[in-house]
Amino acid sequence: MKIINIAFKDLLRSFRSLFMIGMTVAAPLLLTGLIYFAFGGLSGGDVSMTAMKVGVVNADALPADSPLEAPIGENIRAMFFDESVQSWIEARDYPDEAAARAAVNAQEIGVAVIIPADLSASLLTGENDAPVTIISDPTLTIAPAVVQDMVTMMLDGVSGGGIAIQTVMERQQANGIQPDPAEIPGWVTRYTDWYKDFQRDLFHHPEKAALVLTAPSAGEAESADPIQQMMGLTMAGQMIFFAFFTGAYAMMSILREDEEGTLARLFTTPTERANILAGKFLAVVLTVVLQGLVLMTAGHYAFGIAWGQAASVALALGGQVLAASGLGVLLISFVKTTKQGGPVLGGGLTALGMLGGLFTANIPGGMPAAFQMLANFTPQGWVLKGWKLALAGSAPVDLVLPFVISLALGVAMFAIGAVMFKKRYM
Amino acid sequence: MRIFDLALKDLSQILRDKKVLLFLVVMPIVFTLFMGFAYNAGESGEENADSRLGLAYVDPEPDSRLSQMLFARLEESDAVKVIRLEQAEALDSLRRGEVAGVLVLPGDFDEQARAGKVPQLTLIAESNSSEGQSLYQLLRVPISQLMSAVEIASISAEMQASPAEYSPALELAWAKWEAQAGQERVRLERATARVEASWFGDNPYNQASPGILVQFAIMSLVTSAQILVNERKTRTMQRLMTTAMRPWEMVAGHLLAMFGLVFLQTALLVVFAQLVLGVNYLGEPLGALLVSLALCLWVAALGLLIGVLAKSDDQVVLFSLVAMFLFSALGGTWFPLEASGGAFAALGRLMPSAWAMTGYQNILIRGLDLSAAWLPTAILLAYAVGFFLLAVWRFRKMEI
Repeated sequence: MKIINIAFKDLLRSFRSLFMIGMTVAAPLLLTGLIYFAFGGLSGGDVSMTAMKVGVVNADALPADSPLEAPIGENIRAMFFDESVQSWIEARDYPDEAAARAAVNAQEIGVAVIIPADLSASLLTGENDAPVTIISDPTLTIAPAVVQDMVTMMLDGVSGGGIAIQTVMERQQANGIQPDPAEIPGWVTRYTDWYKDFQRDLFHHPEKAALVLTAPSAGEAESADPIQQMMGLTMAGQMIFFAFFTGAYAMMSILREDEEGTLARLFTTPTERANILAGKFLAVVLTVVLQGLVLMTAGHYAFGIAWGQAASVALALGGQVLAASGLGVLLISFVKTTKQGGPVLGGGLTALGMLGGLFTANIPGGMPAAFQMLANFTPQGWVLKGWKLALAGSAPVDLVLPFVISLALGVAMFAIGAVMFKKRYM
Repeated sequence: MRIFDLALKDLSQILRDKKVLLFLVVMPIVFTLFMGFAYNAGESGEENADSRLGLAYVDPEPDSRLSQMLFARLEESDAVKVIRLEQAEALDSLRRGEVAGVLVLPGDFDEQARAGKVPQLTLIAESNSSEGQSLYQLLRVPISQLMSAVEIASISAEMQASPAEYSPALELAWAKWEAQAGQERVRLERATARVEASWFGDNPYNQASPGILVQFAIMSLVTSAQILVNERKTRTMQRLMTTAMRPWEMVAGHLLAMFGLVFLQTALLVVFAQLVLGVNYLGEPLGALLVSLALCLWVAALGLLIGVLAKSDDQVVLFSLVAMFLFSALGGTWFPLEASGGAFAALGRLMPSAWAMTGYQNILIRGLDLSAAWLPTAILLAYAVGFFLLAVWRFRKMEI
């Protein structure tokens, strides 16, 4: 009973502290919320892009004997001013390349599209020796890639028209047929219509497109929303980091009581010292369990995170609680004062969290192999493995290994810490 | 003079505790190295390592002509490493991370195309990963061109009213597309004003170093802003009020100490990044100095405000961390704002931390000259004045 009383008193003290609430619940939610906000979560899962500022210099002119009505450069220019792209592209004209370059340097625009004077002539002759130049702000990666894609597709359409004319004429000649110039506009119209439909389907109608991108899990189960997948990993990383912080911070209550003199007073009462330590340990475990449950619930309702099968989640959370409590007891057993606790919690747990991969869980392709290997030597790394499996919808049997290792590490660290505390206080 | 005395007292009080060095210098250096690795993950590696994206090619009909054309084109790619596999084997490879995607061709690829239908090719890849998206982009062009050749062949066969014409026309059209594939039709150029300036892909620390520098400048307030709280707790501030020292001198003294501490930290991190990581802050030394001075002044004013608002050491830590999280995330120190949503990016660009990043990026990545440092510096100074006035207002109220 005394163990429970001591644990309850510690819990009460913890949850009366603004700092504790801030660091256990508010901070991980704030960080996850910021990332959710950053990547479009607040707009209902629609990752709306930041509007791209594109400058266009169209110097293209029709050659003297051109069969075209307007220069091809005008089509490229019009693509950026089209109504359909106005929600995500802000386009403006520039008189020449120097003006566009100055605008990129001044960050008035992120990307400049320079259409050369002889683009139409070059495409009509099939020489293709007048490339369109895309000048981009070097801090950008997405906008230049999108603009390059748009220009390439447009040029492919034009080149395709040219290839269609050349192929049909050459094949007619090969078969001894004299091509009729009057038929050419008809071929071009047919090809152009086909190309427009093809591109529209490719970008807007996946069910009719020639290439579709499907998640590996599709077909086995409904594919998860990518935002939710990302948020799941982000939230898991934050939850683990702050669970380890909470484990250590909650254990610091023994140091605070020692400094305030209440621990010495407690030792004068007819309460066994082993029970006092057990009460403190119990408070740590309960605090980390409670924190995990609150963060999981908040993550589910605020960010739509599907944590996985109930048994798998229980194993992942169990591993987290045991490892975090164990490490908390171990770390604080080496610390003499609360003042020393600051750097141990700040530096030690941040370093272990980094090595465990908590801050890079969402990096595509992951960290270099050496870093991934290092994660196997940290309790945080194994807890993260458990959560990754749970979030991926794995069966409980798949989580047995990370759970057992987290449990073993937790028990070992707890045992060493308990021995240290016993030596100090008993 | 009193202002300097007070600032020196604060600095000696802060630096007496050696653990401060952990927060001020060791942690930001470790974080910078770590984030540099993270930005560089998958991009660098060994000099001769094959950096192409692995693609498993699943073709139920290896004799299909269209499949052969596509496979041959992909084999020539510098960006994709394509290998033929059975579907089950390919999916296993994807699960094991040996390939970034699996391209599955339809069983009746040639027949569908010849019949005028659009055959659907499926790319199985993580759609939310950059590798998955890159593969999708890389495949779109050759597949579009292949389908274009099919359409041209159909037109040719119809024109000559001869189904036998389809195959030679397909070969001819594809040969013309192949000839175009080697031509540069779109040229990409990054607008760097200096030749030696480069995008962080060449030096990942160009993004990591200023990002961590700004983040840890704010985090340093965890230690420096506690001085004000401690002075109130130990009543030394009240004692100071009984002396001839004026309130504004007290505020200025504490501000100067915080500024000095943050500037010392910033200078150490800049020197480390310049000498060890090759981040060229000295490409425009005066510009880097101006931005750093303005950044440190803003952070010091923020620290003053936190010190005045907080009632305990714990609150200083909490307020400093919240400020660090907010300003770092919104200001684009963790990830470029370009990658975030519209509202976030718009809000983020207003943050002083974003202006500090812009100032550093103008020098490190854009390679611009001193003139590009003036605007970020001016805006950071305006923020510094704003935070300082807020702190003084709170300080006066607190003392009354």
